[in-house]
Amino acid sequence: MSASATPLAVEYVRILPELVLSIFGMAVMVLDPLIDERRNQRTLGNIALLGSLAAIIATLYQSQYPGPGFWNMVNVDAFSVFFHFLVTTVTAIVILTSYDYMEVQQIRAGEYYGLILFGAVGMCLMSSAVELVLIFIALEISSISTYILAGFRRRAAISSEASLKYFLLGSFATAFFLYGVALMFGATGSTSISVISQVLRSGQIPVLAYAGIALMFVGLGFKVAAAPFHIWTPDVYEGAPSPVVGFMSTAPKAAVFAVLLRIMFEANAPGRLWLIWVTAALSMTLGNIGALVQDNVKRLLAYSSIAHAGYLLVAFAALPSGGIPAAMFYTASYAAMNVGAFAVVSHFASAGERYVTLEDYSGLGRRSPLLAATLTIFLLSLIGIPITGGFFAKFYVFSAALQANLVGLVIIGVLNSAIGAYYYLRIIVMMYMREPREEAPVPAAPIGLRAALTLTVFATIYLGILPGGVLEYASRSAAELMRQ
Amino acid sequence: MVPLSYYLVLSGILFACGVLGFLIKRNIITIFMSIELMLNGVNLSFVAFAAQWHALSGQVFVFFVMVVAAAESAVGLAIIIAVYRTRQTLNVDQINLLKL
Amino acid sequence: MNGPGLNSIILALVTFIPLAGALLLLFVPQRERDIRVFSLVISLLAFVLSLHLPVHLQRAQGGFQYEVNIPWIPTPNIHYHMGVDGISSWLVVLTTFLTPLCVLISWKSIRERVKEFFILLLILETALIGVFVSLDLFLFYFFWEATLIPMALLIGMYGHGRRVYAAVKFFLYTMIASMFMLAAILWLYAKTGSFDFVTIQNAVRGGGVEGFATAAPWLFLGFFVAFAVKVPLFPLHTWLPDAHVEAPTAGSVLLAGVLLKMGTYGMLRFNLGLFPEQSRANAGWISVLALIGIIYGALVALVQPNMKKLIAYSSISHLGFVVLGIFSFTQTGLDGATFVMLAHGVSTGALFMLAGILYERRHTYEISEFGGLATPMPRYAALFLFIVLSSIGLPLLNGFVGEFLVLSGTFRTSALYGVLGATGVIWSACYLLWMYQRVFFGKVTHEINEVLPDLDLRERITLWPTAAAALVMGVAPLLWLNAIDPAVQSTLAPLTQMASKVVGR
Repeated sequence: MSASATPLAVEYVRILPELVLSIFGMAVMVLDPLIDERRNQRTLGNIALLGSLAAIIATLYQSQYPGPGFWNMVNVDAFSVFFHFLVTTVTAIVILTSYDYMEVQQIRAGEYYGLILFGAVGMCLMSSAVELVLIFIALEISSISTYILAGFRRRAAISSEASLKYFLLGSFATAFFLYGVALMFGATGSTSISVISQVLRSGQIPVLAYAGIALMFVGLGFKVAAAPFHIWTPDVYEGAPSPVVGFMSTAPKAAVFAVLLRIMFEANAPGRLWLIWVTAALSMTLGNIGALVQDNVKRLLAYSSIAHAGYLLVAFAALPSGGIPAAMFYTASYAAMNVGAFAVVSHFASAGERYVTLEDYSGLGRRSPLLAATLTIFLLSLIGIPITGGFFAKFYVFSAALQANLVGLVIIGVLNSAIGAYYYLRIIVMMYMREPREEAPVPAAPIGLRAALTLTVFATIYLGILPGGVLEYASRSAAELMRQ
Repeated sequence: MVPLSYYLVLSGILFACGVLGFLIKRNIITIFMSIELMLNGVNLSFVAFAAQWHALSGQVFVFFVMVVAAAESAVGLAIIIAVYRTRQTLNVDQINLLKL
Repeated sequence: MNGPGLNSIILALVTFIPLAGALLLLFVPQRERDIRVFSLVISLLAFVLSLHLPVHLQRAQGGFQYEVNIPWIPTPNIHYHMGVDGISSWLVVLTTFLTPLCVLISWKSIRERVKEFFILLLILETALIGVFVSLDLFLFYFFWEATLIPMALLIGMYGHGRRVYAAVKFFLYTMIASMFMLAAILWLYAKTGSFDFVTIQNAVRGGGVEGFATAAPWLFLGFFVAFAVKVPLFPLHTWLPDAHVEAPTAGSVLLAGVLLKMGTYGMLRFNLGLFPEQSRANAGWISVLALIGIIYGALVALVQPNMKKLIAYSSISHLGFVVLGIFSFTQTGLDGATFVMLAHGVSTGALFMLAGILYERRHTYEISEFGGLATPMPRYAALFLFIVLSSIGLPLLNGFVGEFLVLSGTFRTSALYGVLGATGVIWSACYLLWMYQRVFFGKVTHEINEVLPDLDLRERITLWPTAAAALVMGVAPLLWLNAIDPAVQSTLAPLTQMASKVVGR
């Protein structure tokens, strides 16, 4: 514990990615009015991209200096570095996919890139924060940015409506989380996760702690779109701009899952098992059944993301030694495939997001073979077909659950994966087996999108063929986490 | 001295009022205010617990919460205005382009 | 071309050459003709290389050969473990034998999205071979699932009529069934810490697996359901007629010729290999289902107005023989079952090609649309007759040997089953010959049929190898059987031990 009044230099390294992202975010905001109108889209995008790349480098640099910082509020360990890397990479990819989307949708981009970077600051901070109030602040930084991003197609009524719904339900959930923090503070006299953990392990668990955990779980459950707190998801995903959906269905979720992992496992949350059991089973089932009847691809993917939150939560019910790495692997592979899928969707939606229904995808395999093939890979990964990351993600989660003897939950999960295959297949069937309905030409993929898709396809397949490296890293960081 | 439980019950009631208002009210501004009410309920319990544990930190948290809530309301109001511009209404029942 | 060098890489070569070809195809040739020639060359190369497997197989040995075992993924403990025995080596050859023929038969009938078609075909070949050579359960499952996507796409993109319905039905049926297998595999992994077939087999036989006795019935069923859907065993067969009727010819050939064998191969290798006691316990109802399949398939085939559907139902009937043979647990029965797998692959593959040739000319499979075709197409009629006879099981042709062995094996365990099974042979003569009569004999009933061109050179090149194979397999079955025999023996060893224990008591 650093008792000194002023933080040491190394402690600044421990929040270096956040600092880098903030500086670039502010630079984007300041430069926005100064740059020539016609060129500012690209330039600002480039600056933001540079910022996220710098943050990736900062993360790598930071990993050399693990340890606590700022009066034990943040802690850099393998676990936080993993999520920093994930969030910053997703940010970079989303920025790449946004370039042309912004132009096609005629959105002025200044604040957009700034907000993405600020959102990333919050998410990074969430994964390294070990103090509940700091987690709350980080959560709000990321949430407030995404509220605005969801409404960025200002002229479209559905976009601002999505933003409003997201905002109202999001702040509602935050209040629950905060109440949980307050009760936890009351129960243990501290908001530091390690102190809470000591108190909870030392013997009698106060009733307040149970209530605190439950409330925090409700709040975080909203954020990751786990059932029964999922109702906002399809609406928001449908209304928000597609690249933003790609962003907010992965990066903030990953960060919130990181928080959940810390709270549930490191703090050894009481009553965790049944809480998660129910939520996981509900999310998988409701998500998959909801997705079956969707005709809008964005809504379909929204329901699918609810289902995937459910699969991921299965890992939380397992033992820490298997569950934490499984959950980490799942977040990584889910991020790769989902960002990729939304990148294709956003490109294909074209101006005003006109082409987003399932019908619009008919014959895409003929009109744009490469895009269709890419989307197919992501969908197969979402189904969980071997040699894609999605397969091993599910595999690790379910085998971790089996090790913990959660046979019932695994059976529900496997049945759900079978149901899930159906609606993903519907998209593939549409693309390949139906004739194009109208000859709406698909514009060739621009260079930014191509780079983003190459990266995500590569990541998806890499995780499917050689999952060993990532899993080993995740296991190592889980072991580190549990030792603290 | 007023016992701790009084404060906790009061904060619980405030929070519950907020939740109820959020669920029942139909005007967006009122819903928005209900959320603020929930946060204030939380603030009260923070202060009460701070007094119980003799920890100043609990009171400091309240300031953080207030600052964050202020930022949130700024963004929230902006979003509400954006919605009002496109829809000319603040009744949630009429904001229904997206099926729930 | 032997020696340890080639032996150690031959399986990888045979398996992945088609895949490499598919990747090259993605980038290199652009003209449609080049694409076709290129895929033909690749598939022929795979065929030639695969001949190495049976030729250099140590026939006296029962175990797996050409083994390669490299650690692949540390957690879970997955190995790249491949190897073949007498049974699987021939199934690999069957796959590589049929693929070039599929390329040839699709030469003209596929006109749109040619490149994608051949890419899918080659990927499918890799996946099929992979299924037969994998000895790691995980690797096996991976290839098993991997066959699904190209096959479903082949049906859905290039099929006829209700192709989308058929493709989705096919996909969902097999996908859902294989989930059960995956669950069983995961259970075995959780308890033994290994995916390796041989390791698990030893662990199970040694009795060192905790909780195995109680779980075994469920595990057996988990594997069995996945395989039974693929076979397809009555009453899980409903996807097959749809898939066959709508599939393009090449798809049907590989579907009937090889994909169905994945199911019976799986039963032979995994159900019998890992759960001998459960296999014995469940043999009763499985044999009954197989018999129902034989007779039901034959009777439904009898009344089919659609040529392709008729062949599809005949597959259900023939595959019933295979299941019956496997679950007779006799040396002859299993030998016969394996032989029927190969023979059926050749004969039915050829029948589908023949039907496809007719479809290319008339765009219909309805039997009533034809009649008296022997006059305009004498060569075609002769070849068709030859293949029909081989499929019926005429002595000296390939169908006879397998079915005879299966039946004589079955008689040894249950005379009633043997008798009922034997009626299947009679039925198959009925429906095939009746179909043949309606299509070829008599006067030409439709004017358009009078000018149908006979087989051209490409089609003859496509069909002759199957006819030759049918003949050689019928005349000299020992060439195949002496490789199959030791493999069957080692599969049966635990079962017969068990039986003698029972008798000894």
